[in-house]
Amino acid sequence: MYDFDYHRPTSIEQAAALISSADDVKLLAGGMSLLPSLKMRLARYTALVDLGALKELVGVRREGAEVVIGAMTPHAVVAASAEVHSAIPALAVLAGGIADPLVRNRGTIGGSLAHADPAADYPAGVLGCGATICTNKRRIASDDYFLGMFETALQPGEIITSVRFPVPQKAGYAKLHQQASRFAVVGVFVARTAAGVRVAVTGAAPSVFRLKEAEAALAKKFDASALAGIAVSPDGLNSDIHASAEYRAHCVVVMAKRAVAAAA
Amino acid sequence: MHDAAKSTHIGQPVRRKEDQRLVTGKGKYSDDYCVPGQAHAVFLRSPHAHAMIKSIDVKAALEVPGVIMVLTGADRLADGLKPLPHNPMSTHKAETPLENSDGTPPFTAPHYPLAHDRARYVGEAVAIVIAESVAAAKDGADAVEIDYEVLPAVTATLAAAAPDAPKVWDNAKSNVGLDAVVGDRAATDAAFKRAKHVVKFETWAQRVTGVTMEPRAAVGAYDRESGRYTVYAGSGGAVKLKQDIAAVLDVPADKVRVLMDDVGGNFGTRGEVYPEFAVLAWAARRAGRPVKWTSERQESFLSDYQGRDLAVSAELALDADGNFLAMRGSNVSNAGAHTVSYAPLKKGLGIMSSIYRMPAVFFRARVTLSNTMMTRPYRSAGRPEVMYVMERLIDIAAFECGFDRVELRRRNLLTEAELPYTNPFHMTYDNGDYHGAMDAALKLGDWAGFAQRRDEAKKRGRLRGIGLANYVDTSTGAPRERTDITVRADGTVEVVIGIVSQGQGHETAYAQLAGDWLGVPVESVQLITGDTDIVKVGGGAHGGRGMRMASLVIWNATREIIKKGTRIAARMLECDPSMLKFVGGRFEQDGSEKSVGLFEVTKAAQTLADLPEDLRGPLAATCDQVHHEASFPYGTHVCEVEVDPETGSVQIVNYAAVDDVGRAINPLLIHGQVHGGIAQGAGQALYEQCFYDAASGQLLSGSLMDYALPRADTLPFFKTEISEVPSNTHPLGIRPAGESGTTPALGVVINAVVDALSEFGVKHVEMPATPERIWRAIHGMAPPASPNNR
Repeated sequence: MYDFDYHRPTSIEQAAALISSADDVKLLAGGMSLLPSLKMRLARYTALVDLGALKELVGVRREGAEVVIGAMTPHAVVAASAEVHSAIPALAVLAGGIADPLVRNRGTIGGSLAHADPAADYPAGVLGCGATICTNKRRIASDDYFLGMFETALQPGEIITSVRFPVPQKAGYAKLHQQASRFAVVGVFVARTAAGVRVAVTGAAPSVFRLKEAEAALAKKFDASALAGIAVSPDGLNSDIHASAEYRAHCVVVMAKRAVAAAA
Repeated sequence: MHDAAKSTHIGQPVRRKEDQRLVTGKGKYSDDYCVPGQAHAVFLRSPHAHAMIKSIDVKAALEVPGVIMVLTGADRLADGLKPLPHNPMSTHKAETPLENSDGTPPFTAPHYPLAHDRARYVGEAVAIVIAESVAAAKDGADAVEIDYEVLPAVTATLAAAAPDAPKVWDNAKSNVGLDAVVGDRAATDAAFKRAKHVVKFETWAQRVTGVTMEPRAAVGAYDRESGRYTVYAGSGGAVKLKQDIAAVLDVPADKVRVLMDDVGGNFGTRGEVYPEFAVLAWAARRAGRPVKWTSERQESFLSDYQGRDLAVSAELALDADGNFLAMRGSNVSNAGAHTVSYAPLKKGLGIMSSIYRMPAVFFRARVTLSNTMMTRPYRSAGRPEVMYVMERLIDIAAFECGFDRVELRRRNLLTEAELPYTNPFHMTYDNGDYHGAMDAALKLGDWAGFAQRRDEAKKRGRLRGIGLANYVDTSTGAPRERTDITVRADGTVEVVIGIVSQGQGHETAYAQLAGDWLGVPVESVQLITGDTDIVKVGGGAHGGRGMRMASLVIWNATREIIKKGTRIAARMLECDPSMLKFVGGRFEQDGSEKSVGLFEVTKAAQTLADLPEDLRGPLAATCDQVHHEASFPYGTHVCEVEVDPETGSVQIVNYAAVDDVGRAINPLLIHGQVHGGIAQGAGQALYEQCFYDAASGQLLSGSLMDYALPRADTLPFFKTEISEVPSNTHPLGIRPAGESGTTPALGVVINAVVDALSEFGVKHVEMPATPERIWRAIHGMAPPASPNNR
């Protein structure tokens, strides 16, 4: 780990000022991806701005037709939240299946979304629900947020404060996990909402993406059998020592069916 | 001796004495050693699988704040450090040595502690940076400039053994360091000619690594006045490490002291001297202060000795009734970049036919070098690989020729009457009840009720499969061991022995032995194993020798103590020694109420004025013994899996094991050993692989994010049963237990997986049987185009 300055601001404004003060300043949320990369000297920052003191960023609440999750809410809190269980049980399943208990107790939804790991679970839930990412500056629709591998619409100085999930009529999540890291080899989040059906796929490609063909099929009939004719091309999908693109393409359809079958 | 050995502590499930200390964070591991004035080191490692080191420029590194010194391979050469004293061909008396069939000596190459002219694998240490802190040492390492000329590399086993492969060593004829044949070619070919059935199996028991919970760490120190080095480093045994470090430093063995307390895992990866340990000692002398290094996890993946990596092509010949007639084939073991150990090839080959009646065999056995980290014996040295091959061959024969899997095994399994049995590889098994173990395991695993469970699983959309595997293991480790036992006047018994625990529970098990035979509580026995100033002789923990050797020397030493104690007690009680019996820690006089306790006797030995010379001083005895006879653990495992046919995901849902240990000293510890061993074997079968990229030679599985281990939630509760048929080649009847869990686990898990897929006509799935491999097998698809380093 290279040396860095450490700040622990007590307000969002302070945090925003700190990250705008210099280049190479990084926000620290749960640190589940950032700290290993620092330890391995894969990343170097002049300062870290720890959001851990901002208690207003932690918590889950229901606001009308939305579930609002604070950016610094750990996965384990989402997995155990009564609000989430009653409104979007699939999101509780997703949060409860991230990595292992240690990561779930430290890792946060805001950190996961800011990092935008192509195999992370939350991007599927956020894009699948059509959630809105709220920052200290604006609101970003999930469809506009994920731009590529580790790439998001966040601008310098922008801090995620919360994520607003419109409560779907039904939603389900199914994932085939990578056996070492338990990231998603393929994870599919399916939601039936007033605005239509959304199917979001994580792990399979360089970035989370919507499977429009499946959405159209499920719009006609929200049932796993509607996906019978769907085939996903392996072109452009990830291939690594854990799974080939061909296998991932196959598993996208399997996980989509399972997500629909599990939808509640 | 058997009956005498049976008493209060032996055979009892005594809870581990050491656990309270370890689980409350009071263990003392290598990284817990901090020596006053210590500097910190990092090793600079080759990023290339094969490269000439053209130059190393350390000037900029020396200007980094905090950097004290940088030492390179050239410095090592100038200071006259010797290669690591590996003995790749070392052979136990119970084994047949392998020799090159053309009569030439096997290839060996010097393994220098720092490479100076050429790096031969990714992760090979080329320099050490010593600094005031780890961070400064890393900064210094970043500033070292090394000019490499990259050379062609080869990592895959069969590719490396090919005649046109890039050569790891220029002075070798090829990468094949040993090319031997074993068996009777004519008899084997004749048997194949008359065989009704011949089945063939080609496979690769993939490269895995130990992933010890405690990463390697060491502190080297040097005392200028005495010219003596001290190395604090965990290992399987302190004495061998001391000798090996002294050999590298080119000093007499008494100029090195090795110290270790708790050691967090070995499995063979800690069984051999490492370059870093000797370099740290040398660096301490050069820097004039102690130097400490702790491996990080990624560094462990690159630089810990690895295991397995055996490519096998084997055939089995059977007659019309299913009797085995002969076996033939070829084994190629991948030793890595230096000639550290050829033992896995030899130790596996010696029991390739397992505990089956096998009239003839003929095998070619090769070791190839490659641009990878070196391999050495890994939890059961070559045996799990060959048991896997034999048990797969039997299932394939059953599948292809229409035999029942259980009956085919039963027909060929050696009976008690046939033992001792010399197998066609010239290994002679002791006694045992192989059929009894198999029957017990089938019952424990409810083989008879499987069909019902399979049908029930089918209703849930799961494919359920069951497999069984018999096995034999060997115990051919270092044959010499020593103990020095002292009864102290303070009510404790000190046992000095040269076998260090890396988690096995020696503090408890050895205390049960000494406690039982001296009639004292387990708690009163204190074990000293990890200081070479106290422990002078000892072979360490490997090859299933710990309990086997410890029990022998502790038995003999305690007998000697009682003999001496009897003479002293007789003087104290003023009677003839023949009137005394030693019972429950007391010397009792026949026909009277008079008795005297062991600790009173040791006090008397130090105070009685008129004792003969040989009885004076604390009651103590030494046993230094050589025991060449091997005993052969055996047993049967039964495994059940469920496969998700859509994704190929597999879950072990039932696992039963019956393992014969001859005599169980502590059943609780044995069950623990078996549980861990099964996890390790199942890990290889389903999850683990050191994945070297065939094109670049890079290790792609270099962290726990990519190297999958079994976890508590991926394994079922095991049903393990201990069988006790005393071995007739060990005075106390003991067979080793530490490797039993792993040895059959590879084969039994894969047998169960393949059985689950039988309706698709699947004949085999390679290890690790990943979801994608299983999915492809179901659909009859070729392996993916991604790198495969077989």
